[in-house]
Amino acid sequence: MNAGVPAFSVFVAVLATAVPWGLPADATFAPPLIVMAMIFCWRALPGTVFPSYLALLLGLLTDILSGGPLGFWAMMALIAANAGARAPSPAEAQDRNRLWLFWAGVAAAIGVLAWLLGSLYVVRLIDAWPIAFGACVSILLFPVVLRGVVWIKRGRLRAGIYRGFT
Amino acid sequence: MRGGHSPFRPRPRRSWRAPGELLNFALIFVCIVFLVLSRIGHTALTEVSDSFLDLTAPALQATSAPVIMARQGVARVKSYAGTFSEIDRLKEENAQLKQWEWRAKLAERKVVQLRALLNAADEPALHFATGNVIADGRGPFLQSALINLGRDQGVRIGYAAINGDGLIGRTVEAGDQFARILLINDRSSRVPVLAGQAGVRGIAAGDNSAELTLEFIPDGAVLHEGDEVFTSGSDGVLPRGLRVGLVTGSPGAYKVRTHADLGALDAVSVLFFDTPELVRTDPPAVPLDRALSASPADPKVPDTVPTASAEQPNVTGAIKQAETSAAPPAASVAQTRQ
Repeated sequence: MNAGVPAFSVFVAVLATAVPWGLPADATFAPPLIVMAMIFCWRALPGTVFPSYLALLLGLLTDILSGGPLGFWAMMALIAANAGARAPSPAEAQDRNRLWLFWAGVAAAIGVLAWLLGSLYVVRLIDAWPIAFGACVSILLFPVVLRGVVWIKRGRLRAGIYRGFT
Repeated sequence: MRGGHSPFRPRPRRSWRAPGELLNFALIFVCIVFLVLSRIGHTALTEVSDSFLDLTAPALQATSAPVIMARQGVARVKSYAGTFSEIDRLKEENAQLKQWEWRAKLAERKVVQLRALLNAADEPALHFATGNVIADGRGPFLQSALINLGRDQGVRIGYAAINGDGLIGRTVEAGDQFARILLINDRSSRVPVLAGQAGVRGIAAGDNSAELTLEFIPDGAVLHEGDEVFTSGSDGVLPRGLRVGLVTGSPGAYKVRTHADLGALDAVSVLFFDTPELVRTDPPAVPLDRALSASPADPKVPDTVPTASAEQPNVTGAIKQAETSAAPPAASVAQTRQ
């Protein structure tokens, strides 16, 4: 599989983070972290190509759409991508649980780093609750994200689109 | 990959690969450079991101449209569920409003007479453009929203943005086809306000939460829960009299609960309120003969300002002209304005 399908799927997810869902203020950190989980999954799955520079570009897109400082989500995306490349390969169901656990650690690390970086950027301590909430949501939704990524990888999305056209 | 074959094949572990690791370090360094440039407010970055947002605005609008429709659908279903109780409530409210209408007409007549006696100058008309939120930009750094109105529609940086409920923020970025509104609950937002019947002066400061903090209230000022809070206009940027919210909390820790639901914005109006302060920070993009705010008697003011909706039929934002007492945005203008 080339990088086109993973990149496109993450691009759509990034656009979805900007959609005005009407989420409460505490949940604003959750959608970008779900995108990070998606990047992590694409990098962790064997037989897929998702270069680091694509993670950087999609992270920059998230930054632009969110109106935050350029480079913030790009750095988080790079960390997620690199962690995904080092994650245990999900060969069996048990390994998928290990991957989930691995993501829990990565999400916690990303959350702490995001809080530190955010506080450093605005030169005061930012509210940690939305970040913690977002990290928890991304950990809880990880199996769903992994399932979605595997579904896309198996070509079901392409087949569905093809069926829609014919 | 298909035919029951598992996609979870074991992946050979990668060893240290110098070029790949170097690339990662280089990319992280790039991120740090971007962060530093953003922190110092480098104009090139802003211009690039503005241009990019201009490019992606149609895609964002297309993506947001079904979600907004779904949200409206859910709201409609919810409203159907309580239709009968709502009708009763509206009937009661209508009866009260009829009394208020009579009192307002009396007050209006009195104001006209007093203004004539004082030879008071007319307040300038407020022109506005209405558009839709196309992207939600709320995060740890910024509480903002992107709308599908930009410089092509006459929007400039610093204009107040309202919806049917009240003030929601002001424009802080303006591309050709989009503008970013800094919401009033953003940490960096400060709105000079008047609160209560006595018109106690203060600053409504955002802290990224749903409510604003009322700061710099004079010692001994008495406020009550439920007192109306509206803009004072003393910053020279926002018009006076825009509804902001209601006072909550206790003495020493007053809060303002905003009338507008900042988490679920849809249609938004931008008020073309030009002040010397705004002109200094963001010079007019449109010629002076298409001035956006002026006295109603000013002959240079066109009927619809500017005529973007005629020039660009695909833009959903309808440009209208409104007197300060007109209905749609004036729903956000406090009655105390007079």
